[in-house]
Amino acid sequence: MGHFLVSLSYQIEASKTYHLLKNFTYDTLENNLSRKKRLFDPFMIFLVLSTVAILIYEVNHELLPWLDSYETFAIIVFIVEWLGRLWISSDSHSIIIEDYEKTQILDQKYEILRSIKKILKKKFEFIISPMSIVDLLAILPYYRPLRILRIFLLFRLFKILRYTNSINQFSRVFIEKRFEFFTLAIMFTMMVTFGSTIMFVYEGGGVNPKVDNFFDAVYWSVITISTVGYGDVTPTTTEGKLVTVLLVISAFSVIAFFTSIVTTALTERMKIIKEEKVIAEASRLRDFVVICGYGRMGSVLAGELNKIKQRFIIIDNKEETLDDAKTKNYLAIKGDATNTHLLEDIGVKNGATSIVAMTDSDAVNLSITLGAKSLNPDINIIARVNNIEAKHKLKIAGANEVVLSNEITALVSSEYVGQPVAFEAIDDILLDTEGAVMDEIEILENSEFIGHKLNEIDLDGFNLSLIGIIEATHRKDFRFNPNKEEYEIKAKDILIVIGNKEAIAEFGVYLLSSKPKFYKL
Amino acid sequence: MIGDKIIVFGYSKIGSEIAAVLRSKKYNILIVEPDTNLFNNAKDDGFEAKQLSLMTDEELYKIDIKNDDIKAVFCVSSDNNINLFVTLSVRNLNKNTKIISLALGKEDKKKMMLAGANKTINPYEIGGLRIFRLLHKPLILDVMDNILFSESNIQVSEITIEEGSKIDGLYLKDLDIDKKYNLVIIGIQDKELSDDFIFYSSGINHRIDVGDTLVVIGYAQDLNMFQHFVKGNKGTFNN
Repeated sequence: MGHFLVSLSYQIEASKTYHLLKNFTYDTLENNLSRKKRLFDPFMIFLVLSTVAILIYEVNHELLPWLDSYETFAIIVFIVEWLGRLWISSDSHSIIIEDYEKTQILDQKYEILRSIKKILKKKFEFIISPMSIVDLLAILPYYRPLRILRIFLLFRLFKILRYTNSINQFSRVFIEKRFEFFTLAIMFTMMVTFGSTIMFVYEGGGVNPKVDNFFDAVYWSVITISTVGYGDVTPTTTEGKLVTVLLVISAFSVIAFFTSIVTTALTERMKIIKEEKVIAEASRLRDFVVICGYGRMGSVLAGELNKIKQRFIIIDNKEETLDDAKTKNYLAIKGDATNTHLLEDIGVKNGATSIVAMTDSDAVNLSITLGAKSLNPDINIIARVNNIEAKHKLKIAGANEVVLSNEITALVSSEYVGQPVAFEAIDDILLDTEGAVMDEIEILENSEFIGHKLNEIDLDGFNLSLIGIIEATHRKDFRFNPNKEEYEIKAKDILIVIGNKEAIAEFGVYLLSSKPKFYKL
Repeated sequence: MIGDKIIVFGYSKIGSEIAAVLRSKKYNILIVEPDTNLFNNAKDDGFEAKQLSLMTDEELYKIDIKNDDIKAVFCVSSDNNINLFVTLSVRNLNKNTKIISLALGKEDKKKMMLAGANKTINPYEIGGLRIFRLLHKPLILDVMDNILFSESNIQVSEITIEEGSKIDGLYLKDLDIDKKYNLVIIGIQDKELSDDFIFYSSGINHRIDVGDTLVVIGYAQDLNMFQHFVKGNKGTFNN
């Protein structure tokens, strides 16, 4: 028996279908970031609301047979869903394998019963967890004979709560602020006890016909403190009126306290909810750039990326700088980019193609570089360096490119001293302002120009200056001004040209659709 | 060109980088720095340095600011307002020198230009754009670096057409220098028309006159040959 279960566990562990199925179930039921869950949730909410509607309709209508079968269907879905949750709550076969391997290492005898106990304990823990109980209660009203259980249909509405993440977040407010709420509860209880006792002592026992027993007094004080004041129970004696005045006055502080706790807690939560939304949004993106640090340099980069419609997400830990990013409608989150979990959550492992570590601290940039590299060795990492000594270290850490802005600024400005006109020309080209840009054009594999000489391309027609070619065979070398009569075009050659933006775009089309000047059939 | 005097005001991080690059290009550099620590740094790095704040004209005369030999003044101290002040004072005393000032934002840039700077530099902008290019067009950046900053032989050069030049009166498109001199023309600046730079790719077939400045890319030796030829010393352009 034990051996059979152990070998079965290993088989399950090795089974691809099992893992696929479990992942699928997890994505559908629990994974907030998954598309499946986002489709499944509205469906469940609809089911819950519609079955509740049926129960209400049924109170004073004859139940239609198709509604009956619809309800059966819904209940079956609920049961299957609950079983699914039970299944993914823990990995039973992993427990068996873990225990078995432990005994193997320690050279002890393996007892299957202990593992089974552990498994049952885990499952039981899930079953008695609050959300599981809500699920179970939602299934119960199906048993019509137990009409009193209808009250549990309310729990079916609670069930909606578990599908809306935001409301889930709000419920956490109460856990976070439990100290404040506890203080509030004590204040409230004291006031109720104080008020109702005095009320009952002076007006109970036949003095006030409305205050028949102590519960009436409690009811009155709660209604008064909450400022609801129905007026069905009112004090008749001077003492009673006096205590009412005191209660009403002190009730203000309770209400104010309560409101302020709830509002501050909610606004704090609201931020977290928004942040989570951004993370969820980022994790769905493809081909995006992560910008860590939104300073003056970061805003220049973000502006340029935005111009070419390259998607990016900004991480920064300063509120003020992020506000600027948010007003420009950039995707931005407040957080610590050295936190590897955060990087993973926004998709450094999956969707991000590049990450730019550009905070003003070299140590932070190093940490970001290492974190990103550990998550995804293939990601393109660009790091900003402020101190020249750190350049080498960032390269060791795995940064693909290291940018030392002071150094590059010094090079650029020294160029200006020697050759101002050339400098301005290059500056124009680099800034993509107007006039000319430098661009790369790759010769695609199906181009008609392959095998022909360079002078058969009509560069002059597009007013392009050909600076050189990066050859398909050796990518590292740049071949300056190749001889146009002799150079033979190969597939995947990259032409580096300077020209008007639109002309370059048209030139790309020309290379694809036209034939060489001396085309022979 | 080599041996020209350049004043670097402010031995800040960026100032020290600029000084180092200029030294490698064999300029004659004078560092001016009010702060004692930074001043000592400059001395330690082997620069000729003076400890002055340049806040009065008297101090400016001490560095012989009116001298026409001063090719350029860099105002790159870490205090923006002082840079602005020095820019204005220098321009007031010397109309011809080039003033290159640090400006960290668009507003600063405007002020600096009004104060008389020829050019403003913003390390944040340059760094940000560089990262952008690394992401967007790494190949182009590589080629540009190769031409602009590396030790490789390919360079950008500007050639001003002087009286008696052999290409005076020729048209840009007729030069054909990519074949004859293995050079690529980027464009030309015509001082008479405006300060605007006419790119070769604009399609305008400009007539080359005395005073125009041609910007070309090529290997150092080819550039030399062409420069000689343009001056009219030697060359066989029409053969």
